[in-house]
Amino acid sequence: MANDGDPLEARAIARVQDGDAEAYDALVSKYLRRVAAIAWSITRNATDAEDLAQEAFVRAYQNIGRFRTGEPFGPWIGRIVTNLAFDVMKHRRKFRHEELAETARAARRDDADVPAMSNDLGARIDAAIESLPEMQRLVARLHLVEEMAHGEIAAVLDLSEGTVRSHLSHARTKLKEKLADLYD
Amino acid sequence: MTDDDDKFFERLRGDAASLRHRVDDATLARIHARIRERIAPKPTVADVLASWFRPLAAGLTALALAAAIGLTVNVSEGSFDEEQVEIVMGGDTYRVGD
Repeated sequence: MANDGDPLEARAIARVQDGDAEAYDALVSKYLRRVAAIAWSITRNATDAEDLAQEAFVRAYQNIGRFRTGEPFGPWIGRIVTNLAFDVMKHRRKFRHEELAETARAARRDDADVPAMSNDLGARIDAAIESLPEMQRLVARLHLVEEMAHGEIAAVLDLSEGTVRSHLSHARTKLKEKLADLYD
Repeated sequence: MTDDDDKFFERLRGDAASLRHRVDDATLARIHARIRERIAPKPTVADVLASWFRPLAAGLTALALAAAIGLTVNVSEGSFDEEQVEIVMGGDTYRVGD
């Protein structure tokens, strides 16, 4: 989701702003996979991730008039899906009265939603990341699993790069402790 | 951050790649289709009415056109007959336009 100044992207956005709905296809094709991955990183639920990706693109389309020409579309749609996903998580917490321990949360996930882990190592890393506090967990997941750069994460989460680095630093310390037996 | 930290994170990143959520192409196509459907311009009442009445109007126009052409042909044939004038003069009948 880099700020690549893609002229094709800029042209597609201009056409969409002029009312050409078909031009939106190019933007959806370019960013859908990434947007779904961000949604999944937050909700950890495939169905929610699908719905949120869809909703994010529809909202972005409805508000395309507010989009500033020349800006990259990626971070914008990333922020939209992140905010929607956070809303879903808040809603879930509120209605399920979730006060479960961080470790229990990892255990009650729907197994079908979790990517196949080829070995125990994957499962250990996944559980360790899931045990982190919310923002550290999200930043760590986007950086380690989705391989997003600090700047990309900052843009998507609407944080400064310094804050992202700080979350990552805390996450690193905790993960190193939790996974000490694997990485010594 | 120490070199050790860097190496740890690098190794962790390599191992964590297997955790990536991969959305398959069929799912992507399904989401894309839903987005397309939701952003497609919705027809207004006028559009819906127009879509119903357009074929009807076209049919009526065709009928009217056919009727007009038929009438023109009839009229021109009729006027030809009507232009036959019989003149009787001194017991003889003369026809004009036969």
